[in-house]
Amino acid sequence: MVISVSHLSKYYKTYQKEPGFLESVKSLFSRRFETIPAVDDISFSIGEGELVGFIGPNGAGKTTTLKCLSGLLYPTGGKVSVFGFTPWERKYEFLSQIALVMGQKNQLWWDLPALETFILNKEIYEISTKKFNEKLSELSALLKVDHLLKTPVRKLSLGERMKMELIASLIHSPKVLFLDEPTLGLDVVMQQALRDFIKEYNKSHHATIILTSHYMKDVESLCKRIIIISSGKIIFDGVLSSLIKQHSPYKLIKIILKKEVDESALRALDGVLNFQYPELILTSPNEKISQVTSMLLKQFTIEDLTIQDPPIEDIIRQIFNRNQ
Amino acid sequence: MNKYFRVAKLTWDETFIYRLNFVMWRARSILQILTLYFLWASLIPSGTSIFGYNQTSMLTYILGTSLVSSIVLSSRSHAVGDEINSGNLSNFLLRPINYFFYWFARDIGDKTMNIIFAIVELSLLFAILRPPLFIQTESLYLLLTFFAIILALIMYFLFNFLLGLIGFWSPEVWAPRFIFMILLNFFAGGLFPLDILPKFIFSFFQLLPFTYLLYFPIKIYLGQVTIIEIFTGITISLFWTMLLYMIVQYVWKKGLLIYTAQGR
Repeated sequence: MVISVSHLSKYYKTYQKEPGFLESVKSLFSRRFETIPAVDDISFSIGEGELVGFIGPNGAGKTTTLKCLSGLLYPTGGKVSVFGFTPWERKYEFLSQIALVMGQKNQLWWDLPALETFILNKEIYEISTKKFNEKLSELSALLKVDHLLKTPVRKLSLGERMKMELIASLIHSPKVLFLDEPTLGLDVVMQQALRDFIKEYNKSHHATIILTSHYMKDVESLCKRIIIISSGKIIFDGVLSSLIKQHSPYKLIKIILKKEVDESALRALDGVLNFQYPELILTSPNEKISQVTSMLLKQFTIEDLTIQDPPIEDIIRQIFNRNQ
Repeated sequence: MNKYFRVAKLTWDETFIYRLNFVMWRARSILQILTLYFLWASLIPSGTSIFGYNQTSMLTYILGTSLVSSIVLSSRSHAVGDEINSGNLSNFLLRPINYFFYWFARDIGDKTMNIIFAIVELSLLFAILRPPLFIQTESLYLLLTFFAIILALIMYFLFNFLLGLIGFWSPEVWAPRFIFMILLNFFAGGLFPLDILPKFIFSFFQLLPFTYLLYFPIKIYLGQVTIIEIFTGITISLFWTMLLYMIVQYVWKKGLLIYTAQGR
């Protein structure tokens, strides 16, 4: 196992402040501290070369977990091991094998060209010149920014800067990659390019990757295995397809009608979700699918009929709602 | 080692980006020196002396302090506080680089720049004003002055870094630093030579670390302290440097325990 986490907990201590000047003064003298469990007793392990999606609503504890795994935070309790290292000891052998990429992180030197930061990272990670040049031309070609390497960072657009940040984080070919919302703020074309890139990186480097994202598309197209976390606890850990089976014992039936029908005829049907002529959408339990479809075909004149799984977003939303 | 050299070089490059800023800043330091020079030159006309300083030694003290303070009291490491609060510190914790040496390298880059320009400016002023300055020729004193400056520079770096570490506990890192700067200038002898103070106050000051930041190196240069006093002084400042280093290490470790890598 490359990563193993057992009974990890991280509590934050914060204080509350009422608005207003008087309350500000009051908060100088007495503060009511509150302990918030950001991550609460979670355990999982990840093998080499796995690409795992980490999903959950805002504030569920995804980023906190990644920060613990990459050694930024000391946990309140529990054990973490990455390549046999304890992350928060921050040994150089550990740090040179990992990377944490966050959507809004900024390691580039603002006033200097991005290339300068890359060269600094070359020295920091002690990469040979040959390997550095190879890696740099590979990454900058892949992300299509080779012509911008010598432009001062402050003159770059947001998307270009994100790409540069990504190059800076990957120049040392990390074996373990923590990606926190990597596609945040990118346009659809770039999102797709980044997804392809992550998939490719996973394969070519045999890298272990944990990815958090709000875009289900990222997770669906990249990860076989997903871990769902809500209010600091793991509520699902397994293969994406089994999540669908486990949590959605129904399918969506979509029909395109050939002839207009009376709405009263629809009232007799079970599970109508939406009707807007000519489209009719209804749900049906898995075991009744054939029964329902044959009934529909008999009753209506139908041009087209499709059966599909409910969208993954819906399933996950249901799970979140159930756990609140 | 290479990585820290690279950091120093980038800091150097960065300074040149804002050219106007840089030029104005140098102009400010020249004006400051000129003001002090004319003030003291008229306070002590040549041939007279106050507090045991004649015009030559007083002017050397005043100009010397401004040179030494541009070397010693120029440190960017107070930005540590802002980096902690903005979460930018995370960038360094994630990479195999020592944050402490990173800032020291940045300071070295900065200081080399300061020294080069200060020497150029002072030589120009020297050529134009032809001030009566004391030139130390004894190589032992010059060597000891150099050593005292290095110690002072490390000590001030540690002070500044420590003030930055307040950022772990409070977002208000500027207020303590502001008070510190005001006290420092007085205690270190940036305003006047400290030995013009009553003897018992002065001997108390000598136990504090501040005296060794500016006053002490200049006094060695002027040759106005005995060898025994020099070694006592160096021992005291070595003691403070070591103590500060241990405090910084301790506070840094404590701070990391509660660091939340917020905002990122």
